[in-house]
Amino acid sequence: MSEIKRNWREDLKIFRERMGGVTQERKDWQKEQRDYSKAISGVLEKGARTVPEIAEASGLPSDKILWHLMAMKKYGKIAEAGRSGDYFRYELKGGQS
Amino acid sequence: MAEIKQEYDGLVLGAGIAGMQAALDLAGQGFDVLLVERAPSIGGVMVGLNKVFPTLDCSSCICTPRMAEVAHHERITLLTYTELKHLERTARGFSVTLVKKPRYVVEEDCIGCAKCELACNVVVPHEFDYGLGAHAAVYIPHGNAIPQVAVLDPQYCMFDGACARACPTDCIDFTQQPEEINVQAGAVILATGLKLVPLDVKKEYGGGKYVNVMNPLAMERLQSPNGPYGHVMRPSDGKIPRSIAYVQCAGSRDKSIGVPYCSRICCMYALKQGIMIRQHLPETEVTIYHMDIRAFGKGYEQFYRRAVGEGIRVVKAKVARITEEPNKDLKLRVELIDEGGRVAEIRHDLVVLSQGVIPGWKPDGAAPVRIDEDGFFLIPEMAARPANSSHEGVFVAGVATGPKDIPDAIVEAGAAAMEAAMYLGRSQARAGGVQ
Repeated sequence: MSEIKRNWREDLKIFRERMGGVTQERKDWQKEQRDYSKAISGVLEKGARTVPEIAEASGLPSDKILWHLMAMKKYGKIAEAGRSGDYFRYELKGGQS
Repeated sequence: MAEIKQEYDGLVLGAGIAGMQAALDLAGQGFDVLLVERAPSIGGVMVGLNKVFPTLDCSSCICTPRMAEVAHHERITLLTYTELKHLERTARGFSVTLVKKPRYVVEEDCIGCAKCELACNVVVPHEFDYGLGAHAAVYIPHGNAIPQVAVLDPQYCMFDGACARACPTDCIDFTQQPEEINVQAGAVILATGLKLVPLDVKKEYGGGKYVNVMNPLAMERLQSPNGPYGHVMRPSDGKIPRSIAYVQCAGSRDKSIGVPYCSRICCMYALKQGIMIRQHLPETEVTIYHMDIRAFGKGYEQFYRRAVGEGIRVVKAKVARITEEPNKDLKLRVELIDEGGRVAEIRHDLVVLSQGVIPGWKPDGAAPVRIDEDGFFLIPEMAARPANSSHEGVFVAGVATGPKDIPDAIVEAGAAAMEAAMYLGRSQARAGGVQ
């Protein structure tokens, strides 16, 4: 293991400047992520749902709902909850909102 | 980062299955090898596949032991996230300039705990899953990655320091810059692999426009146990598809897009994916629209017959165009050759385009080797010396010489390693050295 003690807070300031800071594009991307995460959680608080059901309840496109839902599943916020016809149902994991 | 010596007997460029095999075969003969990979992990395309044909063995179960062997071999030095800048002949072999891209993570300090990834507040499309899955802006490349070292994508970083705060070994390093590395190598093996023609290369098929028209490698990820969804579902709405179509030669055997050759592997992987879909979803229909089925290897004809026996519909047809229905189903306008050219419109839930295989890397002056008309490396004596490039001391393995399946890539890697070993032996004898 290297012995160098990094002052990451100082380094981060320089890095942020070098990479052009938090651009509008980055802000928009993070906002979309937050909005979808909130919308999905909001629908699933009422119980397990399929992707089309979440899309219909939230008014958001189903392909993007699926993508964000799978990201939330990967990072432990969502779990599968059986099937309904040709669709899997999803629920909040451990009562998270 | 591994300690880099100034001189190596062999440089292997590309750490997919062919590059790893070439490195192992060369190192196994007592030569010191520098294995260079441009991605953050070794393993290439193969480590992302679900099964291999015709045995239906687990692909990563074959690939990951080789990855581990490469990483632990005492005569192989591994450099990931590194690209070749320049390669030229010198009196002592080859002078090689490499550029190591910044991971913003100190490799020797990272323990692969993924705490940075869990702390990161951004998710972005995962290249390993062809955009279907997500990873955080700082992430371990994938579950089977070697090395298990995180990499930070500055394009999506929000600069909040969450990763550095979470790291138990203080290994996030925001000061990293591209680093130039210069080494000498006695011989070079190019194993730079493949990529597919762009998904939208044939506009009439709607690839890149319709979300349920997908790439065959993305389908491999969907079928993999560690894939982005955990199941085969269609990307538009998560529906378990009940009707899947494969469109063969969707970007090969087609002069209009500059890929006149056959990509060789598409018929077999379409059959393989079809068999796997039917095993997991027996009620799902799989239809392969093809010009002709090319089952070229040992056991492949039997594999084709097995696929047909297991209910895969193999239809000789030309797909003219694909359009999207309001519910995201796909309508294929098809000329059915075996029905006298009858034109039909057939609906499917999901379409996989069997895209053509093209070279994974072009030297563009970085290496003194000639390229053939098809874009792959020129092999002047294909029958007698299939691993020898146009330049003495530079050898080629795997798909870098043309489309081929995994067994052929491995065999060719062995040949390239043997040619390189003989070349190194001759060079050392000329220099008066003793091997």
